[in-house]
Amino acid sequence: MRRITLFLAFSLICLFVSAQNADEIIEKYFENTGGKDAWNSITSLRLNASVNTPVGEIPLVIYNAKNGSTYVKITLQGNDITQIAFDGETAWGMNMMSMQAEKQNSENTENLKRASKEFPDPFLNYKEKGFAIELLGNEIIEGTECFKIKLTKTPNLVDGVETENILYYYFDKENVVPILVEAEIKSGPAKGNISQTFFSNYQEVNGIYFSFSFTQGLKGQQGQTITIKTIEINPEIDKSTLAFPES
Amino acid sequence: MRFKKLFFLTLLISVNLLANSQEPIKLTGEELFGTMRARHIGPAVMSGRITDIAGHPTNSKIIYAGTAGGGVWKSVDGGVMFNSIFDNYNQSIGTIAIDPSDPDHIIWVGTGETWTRNSISPGDGLYKSIDGGTNWQKMGFEKSDHISSIQINPKNSNEVFVGILGSLWGDSEERGVYKTSDGGKTWVKLLAGNLSTGCSELIMDQNNPDILYAAFWEFRRTAWSFSSGGTNSALYKSIDGGKNWNKIHNGFPEGILGRFAVAIAPTNSNIVFAVVESMDRSKCGLYRSENAGETWIHLNKDFELAVRPFYFSRIAIDPRNENVIVKCGLFGSISRDGGNTFKSLGPQHADIHDIWFDINNSDIIYSGTDGGVYRSFDGGSIFDMVDNIPVSQFYHVSLDNEEPYNVYGGLQDNGSWYGPSESPGGIEAGDWEPVGGGDGFRVFRHTTKKIVYSTFQTAGSIWRFDIEKNILKTIQPFPDQNIKFRYNWNAAIQLSPNKPDRIYVGNQFLYRSDDMGDNWERISPDLTTNNPAKQNQANSGGLSIDNSGAENNNTIFSVAESPLDENLIWVGTDDGNVQITQNGGKNWTNVVLNIPELPANTWCYHIEASNFNKGTAYAVFDGHFANDDKAYVYKTTDFGKTWKSIATSDITNFARHIKEDYINENLLYLGTETGLYITIDGGKNWVKFTNNMPSAPVHYIALHPKKHDLVLATHGRGIIIIDDISPLRQISQEILQKEVHFFDSKPTVIWEESSFGGNSTFTQFVGKNPNRDAKIIYYLKKRHTFGKMTIEIFNSKGELVGNVDAGKKKGINIVNWEYTLKAPIVAIGKSYSAGAFSSFKLPADNYKIVMTKGKETYESNIELIYDPNSSVSNDDRKLKYDLSKKLYDFTQELAYLVYEIDLTTSYIDSIDFKNSKVAKVAKLLKQDLTDLKNTLVITTGDNYVQTAEDQLREKISNLYSVVVSNIDKPSNTHYENYQILRTSFDLAKTKLNSIKSKDFIKIEKFAKQNALQSIVIKSYDDFLKR
Repeated sequence: MRRITLFLAFSLICLFVSAQNADEIIEKYFENTGGKDAWNSITSLRLNASVNTPVGEIPLVIYNAKNGSTYVKITLQGNDITQIAFDGETAWGMNMMSMQAEKQNSENTENLKRASKEFPDPFLNYKEKGFAIELLGNEIIEGTECFKIKLTKTPNLVDGVETENILYYYFDKENVVPILVEAEIKSGPAKGNISQTFFSNYQEVNGIYFSFSFTQGLKGQQGQTITIKTIEINPEIDKSTLAFPES
Repeated sequence: MRFKKLFFLTLLISVNLLANSQEPIKLTGEELFGTMRARHIGPAVMSGRITDIAGHPTNSKIIYAGTAGGGVWKSVDGGVMFNSIFDNYNQSIGTIAIDPSDPDHIIWVGTGETWTRNSISPGDGLYKSIDGGTNWQKMGFEKSDHISSIQINPKNSNEVFVGILGSLWGDSEERGVYKTSDGGKTWVKLLAGNLSTGCSELIMDQNNPDILYAAFWEFRRTAWSFSSGGTNSALYKSIDGGKNWNKIHNGFPEGILGRFAVAIAPTNSNIVFAVVESMDRSKCGLYRSENAGETWIHLNKDFELAVRPFYFSRIAIDPRNENVIVKCGLFGSISRDGGNTFKSLGPQHADIHDIWFDINNSDIIYSGTDGGVYRSFDGGSIFDMVDNIPVSQFYHVSLDNEEPYNVYGGLQDNGSWYGPSESPGGIEAGDWEPVGGGDGFRVFRHTTKKIVYSTFQTAGSIWRFDIEKNILKTIQPFPDQNIKFRYNWNAAIQLSPNKPDRIYVGNQFLYRSDDMGDNWERISPDLTTNNPAKQNQANSGGLSIDNSGAENNNTIFSVAESPLDENLIWVGTDDGNVQITQNGGKNWTNVVLNIPELPANTWCYHIEASNFNKGTAYAVFDGHFANDDKAYVYKTTDFGKTWKSIATSDITNFARHIKEDYINENLLYLGTETGLYITIDGGKNWVKFTNNMPSAPVHYIALHPKKHDLVLATHGRGIIIIDDISPLRQISQEILQKEVHFFDSKPTVIWEESSFGGNSTFTQFVGKNPNRDAKIIYYLKKRHTFGKMTIEIFNSKGELVGNVDAGKKKGINIVNWEYTLKAPIVAIGKSYSAGAFSSFKLPADNYKIVMTKGKETYESNIELIYDPNSSVSNDDRKLKYDLSKKLYDFTQELAYLVYEIDLTTSYIDSIDFKNSKVAKVAKLLKQDLTDLKNTLVITTGDNYVQTAEDQLREKISNLYSVVVSNIDKPSNTHYENYQILRTSFDLAKTKLNSIKSKDFIKIEKFAKQNALQSIVIKSYDDFLKR
C-alpha cells in the first residue's frame, strides 16, 4: 500500500510538472509569491542591501518605481554615491574621481526608458508590455530541477543598433520561483560572455515573496552576492534624489 | 505561500517516504559537486588546432572558430576576443555554418573534426542554435562521428544539406549527403557513400542553391595504418537540389583518387577549383574549371597544393576576386593569378586548416592553424595570433613539489611546457616555459632535482633538461642489437615512485635507467604481440604515403612501477598486452587473457598501480581505434590473475586514464573522451563532473599529494584544475542523508605574500589562480531557496569577527572566507581615505562557524594557522597585530570625534538664535568647530589630483595601511609616527572638550530656555554599532 501511495504521489508531481506550459508556470509563480493583485499594487520598491567586497561590506540602496525611475546608491566611508539614477527623463551617476554627477550617454538613457515598463517584475502582465515567453525545457540548476523560460523583452540599443533583449529564466520546479536568470552581455569588454544572477533567500514582505539574495557574475566564475536587509513596498522618497543635480 | 494543497500534500508524503526509506542516494554531478568548480589555466600561449572558421555574412565583427577538442568559440568584435559557446557539448568540431537568411540567430555545428589525424576525436552529431549560439539543440546524426559540411539554402532556412564523412576507424552506414526541408526535424539521404566512403566536402552555389558539389572520399584508419583513396572516391555535382548527381571528372586523372578539396568562386559560379589526391602523383594538386565543373584543367602540383590531403584539403577564394585563392597546407599558400602560381602565406603557426576572408576587406584574412587563430591585415604577408583561445591539446600532465607546484605536459604540435599552478595576477603566457619541441607528449620533473624529462614524437629525442643551468642532454637508448626500436608516437617514459633517479623508457622492450638516463638496462623481452602485419608504417597513407610515426604500433604505451614495491612493474601495450613482473624485470607474465569481456588487442592506454595494496592495479583500455566507444575500465587485486570491470553505463564514451586517490581507495577519477568522471564507491557508480568543466577529452590525470588538487590534461581545453578534492574523500551515504553536513577541512595557512600582479594585456588569456581564502565546506541535501540563510564567524573568545555569503547549492558548497576584519568606521570627509580600505587579516585561531538556515542553526569550526616555513616569528606577528589593532581602533576613535563635531555643528545650525547675543557665540563656535574639523579630515577637493592636503584621518589611514599590509613587524618609525598622531588626536579631543565645556554650554542653555530639544550624541559603543 505504501508503495502505491508513493507511486501516486510521484505520479501527481510528474503530472503537474509535465503539464506545465510557460503561461501556467508564470501564473503559478505569481500565485506562489503573493498573487497578481498584490504584485500589481506595487508602485515602487526600495531595497536596503549590502555587498561584501574586498574593501569591506558596502551598504547599498536600490530603488525602482513604476514610472521607470530608479536609483542605486552606495555608501563609502559615510559618503553616499549615486551610481545610477533616472527620473524618467535623465539618467546619471556620480564620477568616483570627481564625485560629481555626470549624465549617462543617451543610449543608456534610452534603454532605461524602454525598461521602465518592466517594473515590478517583467513577467507581470508581460503580454501588455509586448514581451514574449517560451518554455524551452527542463534543466538542473544548482542541483535543482528547473523550467527554462525564454523571456524576450523590448530590444535595446547597443552601439546604435537595435539589439535583441533576451533573458533565460530558470524556475525551480518545486517552488516555481526563479533561481537563475542568464543573458548574453551585449556591450562593453565582457560582451559575448553570459551573465548569471542566482536568487535565493526568498522571504515575505507584506504578503509578497521576494528574493533577499542575488549572486551576480559571469558564467563559470564566482559571483558577487547582494544581500537584502529590508524591502520597503511603495516607500515615500525624496524625488530630488532622482533628478540630475544641475549644480 | 499559496501552494495548491494537493501538490503540497503529495510533496510532503513523498519526502517523508523517501526519508523513511533511507535508500542509497544516487546523485548526478550537478547534484553532488555543488560549488566545486574547475579552474582553467590554459595556456593559450600556443593555443591549439582550429578546424573551421565561419563568419557572419553581413556583420564583419562576428566570427566563429571551431576547434579540434575545444568546442566552438565566437568573437563579436572582429576577432579580437573569443568566447567559448559550446562547453556542454562534444568539443570536436567538423564544421560551422551560419544561415545566410538569419545570420544573427541560426547557427549549425557539425561535430567531429574531419582533419583525420589519428588523435582526433569523434563527434556525436549535428547541432543547431536559433539564438546566435546561446542555446543548442541536437538535430540528429548521433552516429555520424565526423560531419564535414553543412550548406544552407540562402533563400530558405528550412532547407539544409549535410555532408557526413562518417567513422574514421570502421564501417559506417551514416556516410553520405542528407537534406532536411523542415529545419532539421527530418532528414532524407540524397547521395549515399558506402561503408568506407564518406562525404568529405559539400558546397552549394550561393547564386543558385540547386547546384551542389559533393566530394566523396574512401579512407580508413587502424591503430597501425592509414589508407587514403579508393575507387569510390569521386566528385559529384547536382543541379536539381540533390535529386540527381553526376560524377564530374572530365580532366581529372584516371585511376584511384583520394580526398578532394573544392570551392566555387563567389564572384563567378562558373569558376570552380578542386584539389585532387591521385595515384598518379604527377597529376595531384590544383584543378580549375571555368564551366562549373564540366571540364577541369590541371594548374599546379606544388608541395603545398598536394601536401597531406587528409589534413589540408581546403581552398578559400577571395569573395571579391576569383583569381585570389588560398590553399591550406603545411604553411599555406596564396595565388593571385587564378591558381597558376602560389607563394607561401606569411609566418604563422604551421598546419593551416581553414581561411576566412573578411566580408568587406580582402586584406583581412583569418587563418585556423594547429596553433590557434591568426589574423592578417595585409593580405596574408604577416599574421598576428589571437592569444585568448586556450584550446591547447595536452597528451599528458605531471606535477612537482614546488610551492606553488608546477604543471608539466606536452601538446599536439606545440612542444612540451611547464608552468605554475598559480602566479601573481594569474597564470600568464609568460609564466610558461618550453621544455621540448615538435609534438610534445610526456613530461616529468625529477622528484628532487631541477631536471625535466620530455620527449619528441616516437622518442626521436628524449631530453633531460636541467632547467636551472639550461643544459640539455639527449638520453634515449639506442639499439644494442641489429634491431629496430618501435616507439609509439606518444612514447612511453615513466619515472619511478621509489627511486628518484630511475626512469623507464618503453619501445617494444622496457628499458630502465637508475642514473637519470646516462645508462640503460633492457629489463624485458619484446612485451608486445610483435605482429609484422602491424609494422608496415613505411607504406601507410594510401595514395599519399604518410609515415610520420603517428601510426607506429606494437609498442609499449603504459608503464607503472608500484609505489609499494620497486620490483613490481606493470606494462600496457598499444596492441593489447598487459604484462607484469614482480622481480624487477627478470620474469614477465602477460595477464591480458584474464580480463573478462575485453576485445582482443584493445589498446591498453593506462595502468595505475595502487597506493594501497601491492596486488591491486587498474587498467584502462581504449577501443575506439577499432571503432568501439565502450569504456573498458578494470581492477585487479591479485596481481592480474583476476580482473573485474568497474565501468558502468554512467560512462558514455571510451576512457583513457584512471587515477586512484591517495587517501580514499574508493575514490577514483576517470578521464574519458567526453570529460571527467568520478566515483566515490570504488566504481559502482560514476558521476560526470560538469562544473565549469567542458566535455573535452581528458587524456591524463595528476593528483597533487599535498594540495589535493586534481589536474587534468585535456586534449582541447588545456590544463584544468579542480582545487582541493578532499571533501570527496569524506562523502558517504550517511552524509548524503543529512540536511547539512560540514566537512572536516585542513587548517588554512594564512597567506603572507604580496605581489604587484601580472602584466598581460586585456586581450590575453590569463589562467585563474586558486582562491587563497579559508574554505568553509559543507553539504546541503537540498538547494536553499526560501528563508534566510547566513554564515557568521566567531573567534575563540566568542566575538563576532565576520560573515560570509552562504553557498546554497544542493551538494558540496565551498564558501570562501577572506579572514579579514570589517573595514574600520572612518571619519566622514570630503573624499575617501584609501588606506582605511586595507585588509586587516585576522590572527591564527580556531574560529567557530555558525550557519543559520531558516530556524535551524548548524555549527562547525575552521582553523587559521601561520605558515610554519615563514621567516616571520609569532612574536613579530603579535607586534604587528597589536599596532594594527591600535590603529584600527584609533581610526574609529577619530571617526567618533568627527561625528561629535559634525553633530554639534548641525545642532547649532538647527537653532534659530534670532537676534540673541548667543547668535554671535554660535557663529564663533561654529568657526572653531570647522577649524578643528579641518585639521582632522579632508574637507575639500576630490579623489583624484584635486585632492587636498592630508589631515589626521589620512595620516592615520596611511600608517594603518602600511602596518596591516606589511608581513613583518612594525618598525620604530611606525611606532614613533603613531605617537605623534596620537598626540595630535589628544590635542583635538581636548580642544573639542574645551569648546563643549565653555561656549557650547551657552548654546545648550539657550536651547533649554527656548524649550528646544537638547543635543543627543550616541555613546562610542553605540556609534560603533553599524
